[in-house]
Amino acid sequence: MKRLLLLMLLASGLLQAYAQKQLTKGKVLDETGQPLPGATVRVKGTNISSPTNAQGEFQIATGETASPVLVISYIGYLTQEVAVTGSDLSITLKTDARSLNDIVVVGYGTQKKSDVTGATSSVKAVEIAKRPLVRVEQALQGTTSGVTVQSNSGQPGRGISVRIRGASSITGGNDPLYVIDGYIGGNLESIAPSDIESMEILKDASATAIYGSRGSNGVVMVTTKTGKSGKPRVDASAWISKASLPKKLNLMNAYEFAQQVNKKGDVAGTGHPFTDAQLAELQKNPGGTDWQDELTRKPLTQNYQIGVSGGSENVKYYFSYNHLDQPGLLINSGYKRNTLRANVDIKLNRKMDLKVNITGLLPESHNTDFSGDIVDPFSQSSMWDPTSPVRNAAGDYISQSNFASLAKNPVQNIMSRSVDGKTSNLTATGVFTYRIIDHLTFTSNNSYELQHQQTQSVFPPGTNEAFNGNDYAKMENNRYRSWQNSNFLTYNNRFGDHSLTVTALVEQASKTNTSTIAQANQLSTYSLGYWNLGLGKTQSTSSGYWADALISYMGRVNYAFKDKYLLTVSVRTDGSSHLVEKYSTFPAVALGWAVDKEGFMAGSKVVTGLKIRASYGQTGNQAVPAYSTIAQIGTALPYYFDGSTSSVNTPLGTPVSTMLQWEKNTTYDVGLDMEFWRGRLTFTADAYNKKVSDLLYATDNPFYYGGGSFQRNIGSVRNTGLEFSVGGMPVVGKDFKWTSNFNISFNRNEVLDLGGQDNIIVNGIGSAQQGVSIIKVGEPLGTFYGYKYLGTWKSEEKTEAALYGKKPGDTKYADLDGDHKLSGGDLTTIGNGMPKYYFGFINDFSYKNWSLNVMFQGTHGNQMYSFTQAYTMGGLGDARDATNAQLLDMWTPEKQTDVPTYGNQNEIKSSRYVYDASYIKLKNISLTYTIPESLLGRIHARSLDVYISAQNIWTITNYPGYDPEVTNATNAITQGLETGTIPNPKTYTIGLRLGL
Amino acid sequence: MNKKYFLPLAIAAMIGVSSCVKLTEDPRATLTPGNYFNTQSELDGAVTSAFRALAVDGAWGFTSKMTSYFGSDDLTTHPASNKADSREFDRLQGTTTNASMRSEWEGPWNTIYQANNVITNFEKVAATTNEAIQQRTYSGGQAYFLRGLCYFYLVRTFGALPIVTGPADITVTPAREEPAKVYELIIADLKKAAEMLPDKWTGVNVGRPGALAARAVLANVYLTMAGWPLNQNSNYALAATEAKAVMDAGKYDLMADYLDVFKTNNNIESVFGLQYNVGGQLPNRSFGATCIPDDEGGWDDFFPEINYFKDAPVCKRTDQTFHTQIKSNKIGVVRWDDPRTATHHPYYNKFRYGAGDGIVETPTQVVSFNASTNKTTDIVRFAETLLTYAEASAMAANTVSDDAYEALNRVRRRAGLPNIVKGLTAVAFRDSVVNERKYEFAGEFGQRWFDIVRLQLLPKVIARRDPNEFKDLPLNPAAVANPGPKYIAPIPFRDLNLSPGWTQNPTY
Repeated sequence: MKRLLLLMLLASGLLQAYAQKQLTKGKVLDETGQPLPGATVRVKGTNISSPTNAQGEFQIATGETASPVLVISYIGYLTQEVAVTGSDLSITLKTDARSLNDIVVVGYGTQKKSDVTGATSSVKAVEIAKRPLVRVEQALQGTTSGVTVQSNSGQPGRGISVRIRGASSITGGNDPLYVIDGYIGGNLESIAPSDIESMEILKDASATAIYGSRGSNGVVMVTTKTGKSGKPRVDASAWISKASLPKKLNLMNAYEFAQQVNKKGDVAGTGHPFTDAQLAELQKNPGGTDWQDELTRKPLTQNYQIGVSGGSENVKYYFSYNHLDQPGLLINSGYKRNTLRANVDIKLNRKMDLKVNITGLLPESHNTDFSGDIVDPFSQSSMWDPTSPVRNAAGDYISQSNFASLAKNPVQNIMSRSVDGKTSNLTATGVFTYRIIDHLTFTSNNSYELQHQQTQSVFPPGTNEAFNGNDYAKMENNRYRSWQNSNFLTYNNRFGDHSLTVTALVEQASKTNTSTIAQANQLSTYSLGYWNLGLGKTQSTSSGYWADALISYMGRVNYAFKDKYLLTVSVRTDGSSHLVEKYSTFPAVALGWAVDKEGFMAGSKVVTGLKIRASYGQTGNQAVPAYSTIAQIGTALPYYFDGSTSSVNTPLGTPVSTMLQWEKNTTYDVGLDMEFWRGRLTFTADAYNKKVSDLLYATDNPFYYGGGSFQRNIGSVRNTGLEFSVGGMPVVGKDFKWTSNFNISFNRNEVLDLGGQDNIIVNGIGSAQQGVSIIKVGEPLGTFYGYKYLGTWKSEEKTEAALYGKKPGDTKYADLDGDHKLSGGDLTTIGNGMPKYYFGFINDFSYKNWSLNVMFQGTHGNQMYSFTQAYTMGGLGDARDATNAQLLDMWTPEKQTDVPTYGNQNEIKSSRYVYDASYIKLKNISLTYTIPESLLGRIHARSLDVYISAQNIWTITNYPGYDPEVTNATNAITQGLETGTIPNPKTYTIGLRLGL
Repeated sequence: MNKKYFLPLAIAAMIGVSSCVKLTEDPRATLTPGNYFNTQSELDGAVTSAFRALAVDGAWGFTSKMTSYFGSDDLTTHPASNKADSREFDRLQGTTTNASMRSEWEGPWNTIYQANNVITNFEKVAATTNEAIQQRTYSGGQAYFLRGLCYFYLVRTFGALPIVTGPADITVTPAREEPAKVYELIIADLKKAAEMLPDKWTGVNVGRPGALAARAVLANVYLTMAGWPLNQNSNYALAATEAKAVMDAGKYDLMADYLDVFKTNNNIESVFGLQYNVGGQLPNRSFGATCIPDDEGGWDDFFPEINYFKDAPVCKRTDQTFHTQIKSNKIGVVRWDDPRTATHHPYYNKFRYGAGDGIVETPTQVVSFNASTNKTTDIVRFAETLLTYAEASAMAANTVSDDAYEALNRVRRRAGLPNIVKGLTAVAFRDSVVNERKYEFAGEFGQRWFDIVRLQLLPKVIARRDPNEFKDLPLNPAAVANPGPKYIAPIPFRDLNLSPGWTQNPTY
């Protein structure tokens, strides 16, 4: 039936063409002379139009018009009008430097960039191709305003934290919501960066409110590539990159260390652990073991990608395969990933389209599970005794040393352990589009994700985990299933000066997770690693299950009057299984004024684009995990009433709050988009005020009520900020071009209210014994809390020092409460991890076939509290022997430095370990040579680029640690804390891109 | 035609699908209080959780359980190294943020939280037969025992306490009640436990507290109440009665050899002990490495003060208690006061062994040692009950009975000491008992410190401290001038901060 209809239509079209037989033929080319398939050719003043074919050719009936004019348009190119002067035209389209005409993805639809009223930015495939990226998030770093990207670990395969307009939640993640081809919350790891067509970053609540309870942290919409009709195109790329530690910490050598240990013994009265003979021996060969060298290496990363795309008018395809092999900076660690993608677009008929995207992801990781802890091998490599060799004469590891760190030998630790993760992930998205009648379209977007994750681990004796006879092997299996069904109707029409788009959505999603864990302790032999849990002296198993569901309704109206006055209104209602009050509503409204379209601007040659935007919107943060409002009885390890027979243990969990609501984020935004000289210079500015109320926080519960913590809505936080982005083409010559983009973002964060409390003191991270973070009303999130270190007591301050029981050379802290001792009243805010501003500066220079990309990125005004520095300087008191070379500059009566002498309380919670972590980094520099076409013919290639590049090779900073960019930024509170996190490596890359 | 049908169909589909997911939560793999406490075995799981909560590392599984008791003369620690937390209290300069001290607070409170769960719910378990009712009662009795025991340690350590006896109401901060009120609850709980429990457990249940264990603790409670801060002398008689009842039951006796008490589990002398199992991730870290000196490669967490050791009576027990020949890794075997040792102090011998899994050594060398052992920590052993009886009965009657002499002499004879000569006044006899306790329980969990507290002995202890005892680390001068406030520890900062309206104990 449908086919018949189609035939009839086709026939009638042919007949029409036959009737007006005046045909014009031609070819549309781009500036380089390549044919442009898919460009639209329209006869001016009529509805007659035709697309160009794969060779860029077209044929069009110009009808009875006396002197017909053709209008040729193509996305990304300037629209051209050409008078028909012959019958065989050749038209060259010029690239449109103006980005305002781009079509952007806005969620449940697309919009012309000029009609967008919210604060958004985009990153295109072209930008992504400039750097050797392994994770999608890296493409956001430095490229867009309002976005900070920080890796909280330099370990391969690990996620990267992305913050859009600062941090707003203190409990939930602050990572933005990732929407992959319409699938909300998709797995970002499943996207190979080269598969990305574009990424849109939705920043203000008017843009993100359509995602309701999940939009609070901003939204990143990832659109993957689709094929273009025409001959099959093969795109292959390969790069190899050599990584190394960006720098080494300045530590003492073995001889210096031994001298310091003896010096400390003098002060404590515990004698000289190193004898004079040992010292003399060390003096001859002072180096000792360099644990930083022992633990790290310079690994080669390899990445290969091949993509095949093409198609006919009705079926377009894009297939790709990506292989990444990334050994870790630390020995015995690494990550491998295979990704397969198939994107197929089918035009079912005149009215119906079907799009199917399928991705298979198979990552494997080995020992990349370090979360940044003071006992991790990497932290330990700066804290271990340099006088101890790695192994003894017999070749066995020296597990522990009498000096410095109490933890296990870091080399033995990482070489003995295995934590192997293997994941299989399959994500499929199907989008069905039906143009029901003119102007009305129905879309059904369906995604299904299935993931199986298996983690096998073994911690034999000699690893930190095996402490206390707790050596074990473990196998965890996890099955995760998620699906989403979004159905929406879009009505789009124009009535004279009024244009209107209405979207109505019903969406539902659900997730289920089941897991089993089997663990065996004290294996009789570790020769089989984790493969036989039956060898354990004791075995334990557990299993888990959780499921959740979300039902949503959304309506949106986009209205424009004369394309000048723009209005967007949306409302979303989300019903979630997590909360007691299931439903919440999130409204948004935004206005835009395209000033450039006003009559008074029409003639301007200078200002060619000007738009003013203003918006208001509300979003939520679903930070609470499933079952947070249900009191639980858990299962825990058994007790043994006779010392050997185990009894099942079912403890009552901590109390729960039954009043939980979503965090609500209310944002006001005003923005300005300007364009000068037809895109030679662009400028975007936004100012925002984002207030998060009903903050969710896992409040500590006093131990007399069972300890632990429970979720509560406790207060509010505000982010205010300014963002600027300037883009331009300072030089556009025939051979030489320079394009440049600079963006800078200022964000101020303030805690407004904590439900009546003035502050909340936050526990330490991992095994760090003391926390140094506080959430305090009036201060930003990420504030450090401790004693203010004033240096040492100097000789002339002897009398005053005595009042504190101190002597010259001892530590001196600010005595805020004037009680002449170090007490709770002296604790104060001592720094903050949140940058005042951050920026990115990208420059592309091209000369003939050469192009050079230089990208700088940096932050200013943020501080870092470094546990690594604190522990290498002796840690708690002088609990451990210091390894940091700064100790060599210790106070003496002759040289009164601020490095305190041994034997006095060296507080770990102190500003002594707070450093300025502002930095400017040369994030990327790459030089590409495009092989001239004249040479390509011989190898039958379409294009070939070869490039060399380097990442993170140059940093300006005052920070003494490894990398000012890397912190334990797992949440907003602990941002700016560093507890042995592995830095971003310095890398040198060589690669090629080949098109066939 | 398509047009006509598709539109309504599409809209119907859009709305229709909504019924596919449900917003009600169903935590299939998680137990909730709503569906629990139906059977005895469910109740057993809840009782077990209270014991584990008390036994673990971070509660009473490690030396940190005595952090605030380091002001005592039987405990001191390494002058440098990572012992700052114990060092603070050793110098009578404890702080509210002391991380190790939290074990003393968290462990008992976690146990009370689980015990309250049992006490609130145990009668919900369906029981129709007498045997089933008895099982249920035993479960409740154990919870009362643990709750009473935990409050007893908490009140002696921290002073005034919130009294929580039911489910937590997180919207209200309970006030700190004076010790007298807390003792009322302790007595009530232990009496209930004594009524509900069998005398003594055996076999796989040997580690559960019986009625006699409840009465032995109650004896100690009354004895303590007779001293500071309540100073209620009338309690001596009650203490004597409870202790006598335990002695007369004939279920406990002293081990023949003193050292065997610290090398074996659940022996005849053990009235109530916490059980450990390294393989089950429940190690006891109060034996083994923790007491082994730095010079021998150990952790060097605690050892006695010099004059405490010098004042010890010459006897077999003293020889078994202390480790005086240090088997240094570097310089061979040297006497404890050799200036080449790290601390120039004697160490504890009796805690080195664990249940045979603590240390492997030759007369000249330490071969290996464990930080984690399977040794039971005896919370109450029969020697304590004997000495409680001796002291309490004498003080109650203001004269010393033969029974009282015999109770003390049983302990002395086992120690290798002669019988005490009769004819002492009650007070002089009390002092002899206290001196006996000082060495019988050397280094044991809180024993000496609580004697110092109830009898207000700090000035004497301070006066007797060797001036060479880590002379660079003097006692806190303010505490030396006014030791009164140091008998109780500060409320840990975390919970003080979470409890609006509470005030910190003086001087902290």
